[in-house]
Amino acid sequence: MSRNSPPVFAFWLLECLLPVQFRDAILGDLAEEFLLRASSSRSSARRWFWGQAFRSLPFLLWSLLRSEFAFSTGIAAVVFLSMAGLKFTADLVIRRWVAPAPLTEVVLAPIIFLSLSMLGGCLAGRIRRAAAVFLALMVATTVVVLIALNPCPIPVPWWYQFGFLTFGPMTVLLAPAILGVSETEKGSLK
Amino acid sequence: MKRGELLGSLEHLVLLALLRLDGSAHGMIVRREIEARTGRNISIGAVYATLERLEHKGYVSSFTGEPTPERGGRAKRLFQVEAAGKRALQISEQTFRSMTVGLKSHWGAL
Repeated sequence: MSRNSPPVFAFWLLECLLPVQFRDAILGDLAEEFLLRASSSRSSARRWFWGQAFRSLPFLLWSLLRSEFAFSTGIAAVVFLSMAGLKFTADLVIRRWVAPAPLTEVVLAPIIFLSLSMLGGCLAGRIRRAAAVFLALMVATTVVVLIALNPCPIPVPWWYQFGFLTFGPMTVLLAPAILGVSETEKGSLK
Repeated sequence: MKRGELLGSLEHLVLLALLRLDGSAHGMIVRREIEARTGRNISIGAVYATLERLEHKGYVSSFTGEPTPERGGRAKRLFQVEAAGKRALQISEQTFRSMTVGLKSHWGAL
C-alpha cells in the first residue's frame, strides 16, 4: 500500500457494496480527491474518505432498490424462502438424528445460519446486486422477529443475538464479492 | 417534465451546478461546486444517486471519460444537462418566483 492510497478497508467495503453502475465512477472520484487531500494532511484525508464512504452507501443502495424494486424483491423472496426451507430441513435432521444437547444447538445455530446467509447472498447477488440488498433486509427483519420471540433453548448473552443481527445481513451483502460471484457491469454474470 | 412535478432540492442544486460547470462535469466536481456555493457538505453518493435519477428522467445524459492514473485507472463518468433539464429548471424557477411574489415583507420581519 503506498502512502497516498485511500484506506484499504473502506475502499474494499465500497468495492463490495457499491452498485455496479456507480462503482468505477465513485471509486475513481474518491481516489482522485483523496490524493489531493492527502497532499496536505493524510489523517484528515483518511477521515474524509471514511466519512464519504459511510454517508454515500445509504443513498446509493436506496437508489438501487428503487430502480429495480419488483424484479429484485421477487428474486430475494424466492431465495429467502429457499433459505428458510433449508434451515427448517437442517434443524429437523439435526434434532431427529443427532439430538444435540441445548448447548451444542446454540453453537450449531450460527454456523448453519451464516452458511445459509452466504449461500443465499451468493445466489441473489449473482443475479442482481439489489436482490442481495433486499435479502439482507429480509434476514435482518427475521432476526429481529426471532430475537423478540426468543426461541433459544438456554439463556444466551446479548452479543450472541447481536452477532446474528450484524453478521447475517453483512454476510449476505459481502458474500458475492468475497466469493467473486457479483453481478457484472452489463448485467451479465461473471 | 410532467405538469405539477417540481425538481427536488438536491436535483435543483445538481442541475444548477452542472450548468455552472460549462457543459459537462463528473460527480466530485459537482459536489465541490455545491459545497463551495452553498456550504452544504453532501456525500458523493448523494450526488451520483441524484445524477442517476436525473438521467432516468432525461434531464441529463452521461458518457465515459478517459481513465487516469490518479483515479487508479478508473474512468470518469461525465454528465451534461439536456434540453429537458434546462426546461425543468426554468419551470421550477418560474414556479418559485410566482410563489414568492409579495413575500419579501414577511422575510424582512423574520
